[in-house]
This record gives sequence, structure tokens and C-alpha cells, in this order.
Amino acid sequence: MIQNNFDPKVIGEFLNFSRNLVEAPMKASVPHEVSIGSTQFDVAYKEDKMRLLHFKPLTAKQVRTPLLISYAIVNRYHIFDIDPKKSWIKNLLEQGFDVYLIDWGTPTKIDKFLGFHEYVNGYMDNCMDFICDEASVDKVSIQGYCTGGTLATVYSSLHPERVKNLIATAPVIDGWKDTTVVSNVAKFFDVDKLVDTVGNMPPEFIYFCFSILKPFEQGVEKYIKFLNNIDNKKFVDSFLKIEKWLDETPPIPGELFRQWIKGIYQDNLLIQNKMYVKNKLVSLKNLKMPVFTQVAVGDHLVSPECSMPLHYAVSSTDKTLKLYPTGHVGMIASSFSQKTVLPELGQWLKERS
Amino acid sequence: MRSIYCDLIMDNHMENESNITEYYKKTAMFWSDMIAMMSSKPTTLSAVGPLRTLSSNLKKVTNELTEANKEIVGFNNFLIEYYKQLADTWSVAQKDVASKVSKLSPNEEGTEAYKRIWIDIFENNFTGLFDSKKFSENYNKLISTELDLLKRWNAITDVMLKSANLPTKQEIEEIYEELHTLKNRISELESFKKNTKKNDTE
Repeated sequence: MIQNNFDPKVIGEFLNFSRNLVEAPMKASVPHEVSIGSTQFDVAYKEDKMRLLHFKPLTAKQVRTPLLISYAIVNRYHIFDIDPKKSWIKNLLEQGFDVYLIDWGTPTKIDKFLGFHEYVNGYMDNCMDFICDEASVDKVSIQGYCTGGTLATVYSSLHPERVKNLIATAPVIDGWKDTTVVSNVAKFFDVDKLVDTVGNMPPEFIYFCFSILKPFEQGVEKYIKFLNNIDNKKFVDSFLKIEKWLDETPPIPGELFRQWIKGIYQDNLLIQNKMYVKNKLVSLKNLKMPVFTQVAVGDHLVSPECSMPLHYAVSSTDKTLKLYPTGHVGMIASSFSQKTVLPELGQWLKERS
Repeated sequence: MRSIYCDLIMDNHMENESNITEYYKKTAMFWSDMIAMMSSKPTTLSAVGPLRTLSSNLKKVTNELTEANKEIVGFNNFLIEYYKQLADTWSVAQKDVASKVSKLSPNEEGTEAYKRIWIDIFENNFTGLFDSKKFSENYNKLISTELDLLKRWNAITDVMLKSANLPTKQEIEEIYEELHTLKNRISELESFKKNTKKNDTE
């Protein structure tokens, strides 16, 4: 006779998991039908596929200098407003800031030739013009997240007279110091061949880069946790919103991607003050305005070693570097960011606005 | 008779794999050209129809397909190496897990600990692989050969589009580039106009 050594609790767990698996479609929404983004906005300005969103104020009194957020070129901006309780935008509005955000849109084949010049000297500068006119100010504070942090840094170097304060949140700055698997793939990547053959960087390839970042935690454990928590409505809602956001990855314009991989990851031009955008040198020494660099210690997408050099490279005498014990997304869309990151940012910005 | 002819070819041309490919390529090109020349008179009859460039198209397609064969071999080698790296890492990770979990009890805590150990070990091993130079080099070669194949496919598609009297990918790209240049010129003019206006006001 075969003796069964299994703990009945283990068998119970297994049966529960199987039940959750079967009942999941009845208990959770269809991921693509989940709505994300709850804070109201107007589309203030539009150019090609780019939209400038102006969020409606939530306080009677507002900080004088408007804040422009430059979102990353990977994924969509919704992570900044994924859930009312974890919304970066809503928190800033509640602190009295006048918030604008650039939604880069979804590039198509015709946008293949857009590069740093068009993004920085074109779209971003036009947005700044618009905000200055609308708010009757000469300068605007600018915050950039991830690759948007790099764009904001490049913009601030080329147009320092327009930038009141620069906030770089997990920016991609020093490609050679980046220790993530993304930079390992990027170092040997034949970007010329990809852009010349395919045009824009396809979303599928971006998915691949995501899938090699913590493949078992993100690819297996996360979904087991989801099924184990299928009766927890709050958890399920939040999970599906993040999944939908992760799934909505637009292509990256070919020229921008080429300049990105070569200039940042392969030749590391930005941190060496050797990068040129339309014949103009991008020198980090031009950054004399107040600079706030936010870094997540557990960032597996942009390693702290890649972001921190910005703090040491700028000429500004008013500069702050903050390291947070969280991850890339945790820094902007979590309870931690609401309790720690945003209040600190708000205070820093109010003192300088 | 066949044997002598074949032996002669084998001796002279098939010393290695690349000669074999060269042989087939030349044979294909030779007959494509011959057929093109032999059929040049009848095809002039359909000089404005869809068959207008049939013979020269056939030659281009044959050429692309022959070249693609070489790249398919390279692609397969890199793909095999890619899966080998994944399989080897999986195997080592599985062994590491086995050596660590043998003493765990089959109760709830043990199962939980097993899950944790499994995830941690697999995560570490695979991150190590994705972080390695050998992975990055092979992966990028794999992508590179895949792009070479895509280039061939694009070239074949362009031939077909041309036959159908439609704009090719290259021609569409030229239009996009032209539009891009125009947009940049308009932006520069607008910027110049704005600055002049600003200076006049000041």
C-alpha cells in the first residue's frame, strides 16, 4: 500500500488554486476592458500624434510655476494616473500644482524619421511655448520619468532659459554604468540594421526586453499571486490595470531609437557631454537651474548607477539627490510614492516655484 | 554520361558548402537569364500588362531566395544556440533547486519554501544568463540574421509590388522622408517668423 505523506493543507491549497483558476473569468474583468486613468484633463495642444494634456485643478490656490511632465517613450503615460489612490498626477494637483503632461501618442511608419531634434526642439519646445503663453510665465518646471527624464535633461541643456526646475525621475543618463539586462542586450545591438529594415522599434521587441527582466517573478509568480488573490477585489483591479498598462506599448520612432541606443548605451555620449542634437552640443554643464534627481534603489529597468551620475554632472549649485527603497514603477505608482516620494517632491518644488 | 558530368562538377565546384551554394546560385541565375532571353520576344507583346517584367522579376526573386538559403542556415545555428543556452540554464537551475529542497517537509511551510527557492534560483540563473556576454552576442546575431531574412522578404515584396504597378516600400519611404524634411523646413520657417516678430516688438 502506498503511503501518502502530503499535508492535507497542501492538498487544500492546490484545490483552492484550481478553483480560483476556473472561477477567475467570472470574478475578474476582461483585462482590455479595464479603464485606467481617472483624473480629468483637457487636450490643450496637439501636434502630429503628440498631445499636451492639461489636468483640471483640484485646489483653489495654485503654485505659480506650472509643471510639465515628460513621460517615457516606452509604454503609455497612464501609469501616472493608474488608480486614484496611487495617482502621481492627482497627488500633485492636490498639492496645488498646475500640471501638464506630454502624451507622445502611438508612432506609425510615417514617424520613422523623428529623432531627438523633433522630440526636444520640436514637440517639447512647442509645448513649453504653449504653457508659457497660457500661464503667462517665462519659465516652466519640467519633470521627466525614465526615458522621458533623458528627454527632459536634453531639453534643459539646450533651452536652459525656459526651465525653472528640473526633476529627473529614474532618468537614463550613463549607459555604460547601467547594470540591467536591457543594457547588456543594447550594447551589442545592431540598431542600424533594425531601423533600416523594420523602421520603428516594434512593440514585440520591447516586450522581449521586459520579459527578460525578472522572468520568473514577473512571468510566473505574479500570476500565481493574482489567482491566489482572486477574491480580493482591490488587488484584482489594481493588478489588471497594471497589466493593461504593460500591454499597451507603442512602437518607438526608428531614428529616435537609433540615436538612443547609440548615443546613450553604446557610445555613452550624454554623460560625457559629447552628444549633439541637430548640430548643437548637449552639455550637462548648462544645467544651472535647481535639479532634483530621484532614484529607486531596487530599479531593475534603469539601475541607480545609470541615473545618479546626472546629479554629479550638472553645474547647478542647488541640486538634490534622493534614493528611495523601491522599484522603477513603485517610485511613481505605489502607496510608498504617495507617502514619501510625492510629499518630498512637492515640498522641494514649492520652495523653488 | 551523367556520372562523368556530375563528378566533374563535384571535383571542381563542391569542395565545401559555400561552393555548393555558389553552384546552385549560378545554375539558377543561368537558367533565369536564358529563359528571360528566350522569352524576350513573346513578353514584348504584353509590354504594358502585368507580365511586363515577369522574366526579370523571376531572376530577382530567384536571387533573393538563393541568398536567403545561406542566411537561413546562419539563423538556425543562432536559434539552436539560443535554445541551448536557455535549456542549459534551466537544467542547472533545476539541479540547484533539487539540491536545496531535498530536506524540506511535505507540509504547507515546506511547499511555500519550495516555491520561494524555485523562483529565486531560476531568477538568479536566468538573470545571470541574460546578463552574460555570450547571451547578448548570440541573441544579437540571431536578430541580425532574422533582419537579413526580412530584408530579402522586403526585396521580394517590392518586386511583386512593382509588377502590380504599386509603389514599393522604398518609394513609400522616400515619400515619408520627403514629408519629414518638409515638416522640418516649415518648423524652421515658423520659428524664424516668430523670432522676427518678437524682435520687432522688442
